[in-house]
Amino acid sequence: MKDLDVKYFEHIPVVPNRNLILIKLGYRKGITALSEKDNRFIDSEINRALLLCNARGAFCYCHINNHLTNKVVLENGIELNSEKLSSFLHNCNEVVLMASTLGREISDNIAEAIKNGNAASGLILDAVASQVADMALDWMVILINKIIKIKGKTLTKRRFSPGYGDLDLFNQKIIYDMLNLKKMDISITDKFMLEPEKSVIAIAGIEVLHG
Amino acid sequence: MDKALFKQMAAEKIVLLDGATGTELHKRGIPKNTCPEQWVLEHPHVLKEIQGEYIKAGSDIIFACTFGVNRIKLKEFGLQDQVREMNRELVRISKEVAGTSCLVAGDLAPTGKFVEPFGDMKFDQLVDVYKEQVQGLLSGGVDLFVIETMIDLQETRAAVLAIKETCDLPVITSMTFDTSGKTLTASDPVTVLITLQSLGADAVGANCSTGPKDMLKVVELMLPYAKVPIMVKPNAGLPRLVDGNTVFDMGPEEFGKYAVDFVEKGVGLIGGCCGTTPLHIKSVRENLAGLKPAGRKFKPYQALTSTRKTVFFGDTYPVTVVGERINPTGKKQLSEELKNGKFTEVKRLAVEQVENGAEILDVNVGMPGIDEKKTMVKVVKLLSSVVESPLCLDSSSPDVLEAALRIYPGRALINSISAEKAKMQRMLPIARKYGAMFILLPLSDEGIPGQAQGRYEIIHNIISAAKAYGFETGDIVVDGLVMSVSSNQSTAEETLKVISYCTETIGCATILGLSNVSFGLPNRSYINSAFLAMGIGKGLSMAIANPSSEIIMAIKAACDVLTVRDKNSFAYISKYGEGNVVKPKIVEQKNLKTVDKIFQSVLEGDRENVVGLLQEALDEGTKPGGIIDGYLIPAITEVGNLYEEKKYFLPQLIQCAETMKTAFDYLAPFLAGERERSGKQIPVVVMATVKGDIHDIGKNIVALMLRNNGFTVHDLGKNVSAELIISKSKELKAQIIGLSALLTTTMVEMKTVVELARSEGLEVKIMIGGAVVNESYAEEIGADGYSKDAYNAVKLAKKLSCLK
Repeated sequence: MKDLDVKYFEHIPVVPNRNLILIKLGYRKGITALSEKDNRFIDSEINRALLLCNARGAFCYCHINNHLTNKVVLENGIELNSEKLSSFLHNCNEVVLMASTLGREISDNIAEAIKNGNAASGLILDAVASQVADMALDWMVILINKIIKIKGKTLTKRRFSPGYGDLDLFNQKIIYDMLNLKKMDISITDKFMLEPEKSVIAIAGIEVLHG
Repeated sequence: MDKALFKQMAAEKIVLLDGATGTELHKRGIPKNTCPEQWVLEHPHVLKEIQGEYIKAGSDIIFACTFGVNRIKLKEFGLQDQVREMNRELVRISKEVAGTSCLVAGDLAPTGKFVEPFGDMKFDQLVDVYKEQVQGLLSGGVDLFVIETMIDLQETRAAVLAIKETCDLPVITSMTFDTSGKTLTASDPVTVLITLQSLGADAVGANCSTGPKDMLKVVELMLPYAKVPIMVKPNAGLPRLVDGNTVFDMGPEEFGKYAVDFVEKGVGLIGGCCGTTPLHIKSVRENLAGLKPAGRKFKPYQALTSTRKTVFFGDTYPVTVVGERINPTGKKQLSEELKNGKFTEVKRLAVEQVENGAEILDVNVGMPGIDEKKTMVKVVKLLSSVVESPLCLDSSSPDVLEAALRIYPGRALINSISAEKAKMQRMLPIARKYGAMFILLPLSDEGIPGQAQGRYEIIHNIISAAKAYGFETGDIVVDGLVMSVSSNQSTAEETLKVISYCTETIGCATILGLSNVSFGLPNRSYINSAFLAMGIGKGLSMAIANPSSEIIMAIKAACDVLTVRDKNSFAYISKYGEGNVVKPKIVEQKNLKTVDKIFQSVLEGDRENVVGLLQEALDEGTKPGGIIDGYLIPAITEVGNLYEEKKYFLPQLIQCAETMKTAFDYLAPFLAGERERSGKQIPVVVMATVKGDIHDIGKNIVALMLRNNGFTVHDLGKNVSAELIISKSKELKAQIIGLSALLTTTMVEMKTVVELARSEGLEVKIMIGGAVVNESYAEEIGADGYSKDAYNAVKLAKKLSCLK
């Protein structure tokens, strides 16, 4: 099996969107009332969360060797069994496998905050971390798009992840191994969960730009 | 060719480069998925034909076909051990074609890896990869080097250093900028130019990615600050994919016309990239006939860079604040973290200083008990990603400074170089090699001259020594050397004389480390800010200071207005204009009874004050049970209503719940026996995240909410087996089991728990929650209820335990 050329990023610069964090926490514009104290608290926790997140990432390109209705066969013979994924990638001859992680410090701080009776703080840290992990993937998508645009290609607008639709979570382990995420201090449990908790795996397709 | 000859050639004529090689090879049948350079070695006549046509079209320099002949790229084809041979042979082919009529540039390009601090590849490893290629190119006899199509500034730095550390031949560096005018890793043209020309590139420019129209915008930004010739090699327009083939639309005629625009703006070297042909180059030559390099107006500057930002400073710019806080002296938390290899406090201080107005960050990690070099490198790598501000590298150790400069992906400021002979001789070449600016400290082996006059002499000595290494006055920032006025009051005046002298007589930038002046005095910020104002009055360029000091930042802003450095007072008005200053909100003081204040504190999630209020209420004779039933429970009920109406969101709900818990915990000892006597039963809930699942934040919030609503909660944690949940439930006589799971793979474990509970005849209600479960799943597995969130979980638990 040919080794995949995995690229790793040690520090991904991301600036989360405050409004999206608030929305994730249940904020409704025009209905939810935030006092000055609330705002101060939220901003301070967002800033703290950002200091605790070290966004890192990895990605690799992988050709699709075979495209069946119920599965996608990658260049190294790996099969991803999913009708929905196959349909999602119907215009693609290539995929990008990617992952992001924020490191253990943020997860430890979330757990600690809740354990110490600072659950509100823990919740905000958790919301920020979830967004930063996603944004790290967004950042890689933008970067990859810039690289492949020169070749007249683009990434699918959406991403797919194991556990979505009919793509079994088991596939998380397959991609984990392909990206060698151990190198990024990510581990995977026997139920295919990533640790640290704020780690994400995703698949995007590469489409040809026409015209 | 040596650097001086190259400079002379670029001064005398517009240097014509070649056009595309890749797209020309494709036209001539190079197969896809093959190693292009290997194919060229097998079909040398094809390359000879292409390059011959470029020379015929007028190219003064052709690029050897060695774009991807580095160990990393060749590994894709199993050729990684042929780097030197392939480079040598490829150069030999081009030299044969070139003869004496044109020059051959050894071509280095991206490896496809991402280098630290941004990526995972070690910087020195990458330098070695390029060095290996450089040696191969040299053995083939290249006349000069070109580093082209680069996407990342740090990778370009590695390639430049690889050449500099191997030979003295001229180096042209060229990066690709997309239509937004930035490189792939977000460096802007000015930052690229200043970083690379400081590092020693003999020409800087842009190639590939865009057509001439967009590239013109990129080089227009570079040109005012360019000390070296600017190079362009645009594509023949933007690529389009037609029937699976990449097509470039711009023909030779249109392409050639752009050449005139480039040259009139001041570009000195011009060629073509993807899609261009010998005809395009011929058209450029024809359009440029009779044109000479445009006399450019160079704008002298003092500037530092990071990968994504350039900071200009000097007498026409606002005074630049260099944040002083990343220094362990007197900072316990920072010292502890650095000792333990942690950097959260470093990040915090960096972000905080930038937010408060520091444009440059001083980084000093010197302290006993740590490996300063290792720590400095780590901090520099970290800060290069965390903030955009350039760094001022502060150490007394040349080794530390050299290591930091090597890895720093921009143009740094060194703090500092004095006239101490050994250090100066060691540091000046290092600073020059990495293109850094430096702070000149006017002290020598004999010590610090007390009078300004003595310092002038040292300043001149250091400047003169620096010039021998190629430094210009604009690369130097003189430190006035601030001493404490508490021991000698006249010292401030001597320092100010130095600032004045450097500004007016030498014409170089100046800096003051403000805080020393007030050492030993009370209310130091008054002295510091007054001294800052006096320094600015003498022409001070930079101040090392704490940007969190409001008075210092306000005085600086005001001085910038008064010295016309803040044009039209724009920055001052933006900061202090009406509506921009955050005014403290005046909270309405209500004349409430203590118990009402307790109600209010729960409603506002005011955990800090609730205990004090409870004490007060108890002192006033209010019964603990009365406080709970009459104020705390109604308050948390009101919070729940507000949450349901979306007037509160989750953090507010939880803060209120935490306040409630604090109140309960405080009152608990006063209630001993009271609840039992009242006959009220306290329901017991066992909570767990099921086996295999490690996501438990939701379960923890539910546990908190239940506790605050009078339940006794035993939280078994996460990844808990069905057997343990059931045995604990029996042991604790639980009325309710609460289960959570986040994923489809783990939610099935909930069914196992339900089945085990039922098979053991346990009389317990089971409620479930989590991202992937719902009401119907609860029914399907035989659970007694499902809740979508913590608030509803409380309602459900009350219902299941028959509480109101």
